[in-house]
Amino acid sequence: MTLIWKLLRKHISWFELGVFFIANLIGMVVILAGVQIYTDLRPIVAGDNALIGNDYVVISKSVKRVNSKQVFSDSEIEDLRNQSFTLRLGEFTPAQYQVTGGLNLAGQRFSTLLFFESIPDEFMDVKSREWKFKSAKRKVPIVIPRNYLNLYNFGFSQTSDKLPQITEGMMKDLELELTLSGGGHTEQFVGKIVGFSDRLNTILVPEDFITWSNKRFAKGEDIETSRLILEVINPSDPELLRYFKEHGYKPEDKPAESSKALFLLRVSVGVIIVIGLVFSLLSLIILTLSIYLLLQKNIDKLENLRLIGYSTSAVARPYNIIAIALSTSIMLLSLWIISQVRMLYIDYLIESTGREIGGTMALTIVVGLALMFAIIFFNMTIIRRKIIQISRKR
Amino acid sequence: MSVIKLQGVVPEIFASNQNLHSDIWLQDVAFEQGKRYLIEADSGTGKSSLLSFLYGQRGDYRGDILFNDQDIRTLNSRDWSVVRQSVLSILFQDLKLFGELTALENVQIKNRLTKSQNDRIIKAWFEELGIADKLKTRIDHMSYGQQQRVALIRALCQPFNFLLLDEPISHLDDRNADVMRDIILREASRQGAAVIATSIGKHMNIDYDKRLSL
Repeated sequence: MTLIWKLLRKHISWFELGVFFIANLIGMVVILAGVQIYTDLRPIVAGDNALIGNDYVVISKSVKRVNSKQVFSDSEIEDLRNQSFTLRLGEFTPAQYQVTGGLNLAGQRFSTLLFFESIPDEFMDVKSREWKFKSAKRKVPIVIPRNYLNLYNFGFSQTSDKLPQITEGMMKDLELELTLSGGGHTEQFVGKIVGFSDRLNTILVPEDFITWSNKRFAKGEDIETSRLILEVINPSDPELLRYFKEHGYKPEDKPAESSKALFLLRVSVGVIIVIGLVFSLLSLIILTLSIYLLLQKNIDKLENLRLIGYSTSAVARPYNIIAIALSTSIMLLSLWIISQVRMLYIDYLIESTGREIGGTMALTIVVGLALMFAIIFFNMTIIRRKIIQISRKR
Repeated sequence: MSVIKLQGVVPEIFASNQNLHSDIWLQDVAFEQGKRYLIEADSGTGKSSLLSFLYGQRGDYRGDILFNDQDIRTLNSRDWSVVRQSVLSILFQDLKLFGELTALENVQIKNRLTKSQNDRIIKAWFEELGIADKLKTRIDHMSYGQQQRVALIRALCQPFNFLLLDEPISHLDDRNADVMRDIILREASRQGAAVIATSIGKHMNIDYDKRLSL
């Protein structure tokens, strides 16, 4: 134990520091719980595509009569690209050959015609390392709309005893037997579901696969675009809606419920975080007062230490160490509490939604560390300022 | 630092006083390294104020104080820490010891900062000054005379060019005063430092280079 510490620990009120510890701990746990719950619930409520800010609209032309092809011409696409509301524009590229998908499930064999499309990778709302087609391996990564799985689980599976419910994880383990035929030949591939999309209501394969396979099975016929994806700032922008109406473009509906739910989630998490911030702020006021009182009680000793040559930072060190130790242990403890609480609800979430929870604690840890450093910085600043103030006054 | 210069320095509270007859206030005075000075004063003439100005404790004076050629008003708190660790040492009149620490700890708290003396020397000083049996006694359980000797030992635990002594022997008997003088002169000579002592009557028996009256 250093002599400085022996001198300066006197008058430390462990009671006041205890009150700070508990109040700050509560504040931190509430803030971090808000962040964690938001991270975990957002994908369920809004889909993985719920990027903050920009939104996406998929448009096609209204069908006017049976058998008429509704495709976008190059000039129409160019005009759309030049509109002020368009941030980015991507074209859907359809496969121009026949695809059959087969699946063995619980001893039963399913087989159906499929339809593949691709969009530029930057519009994908599913990020997967497997999203790459390698022709040598004959493996095709596939992204299907999430509601296909829901349709199966709540439709087929509910009405038949033989069909089990499937989770997303199980789907990803399945291998689809794909038969591609066109241009006079037929080949087998293995399809693997690598993700589920909320944004795109179609069966998606990588763009490089579509390019490669169209060349192989369709002899590179001209590809016509019947659907476009637009990145926009606001999908309900009146200018955008008027433009669509004028040109007879039909936006595919986004589920309205999801944006309402997302809004509610944001509001409630916002309220939680504000409550946590209020707690933390009050605890900081307690700590500040406690430090001021402590320094005031030790004012003669601090002054003497400065006079025999101790620097401000040397005198501040014992108090800084207390502040750092308190804040670090508060942060570690609150992260531990969050991880425990999360274990309690995460199983329930997986069970009730049948979905994997992709979220991690990374954001929570980052926010926690940022708050910790901010609080330590704040403490050290007021300690330093108070000590300088003491040595100036006399 | 080799010289401390005072140029027309006067405490603010004396500034309006017309009949100030002093060798220091409002004069140009230089204290040079290696010399011995005695400042004699009646109480209330600002003796402790002078040392407080020199030591950067107080700034309520007019005129300029220069360390070599640097105005000490330009020193910041970090500079003062350096000055107090390696240039100026002081024996305060009110000693400024830590009552809850022992005699030895009071010395160590300075020596650990400057790392200038070893334990053997420190203990030898305690012996010489007749307080070796008080090493582990809390300061607030010692007499003022004993405390004064501890404060001196603390003041010697650092390199210095100037040693400021505010009534260093006010509470010592003659024998202890002589022992203290011997130690001070020995250490000041070793470091080539100046000694500036104040007194309101009783002063160390030294061959002073200059006596000034406040």
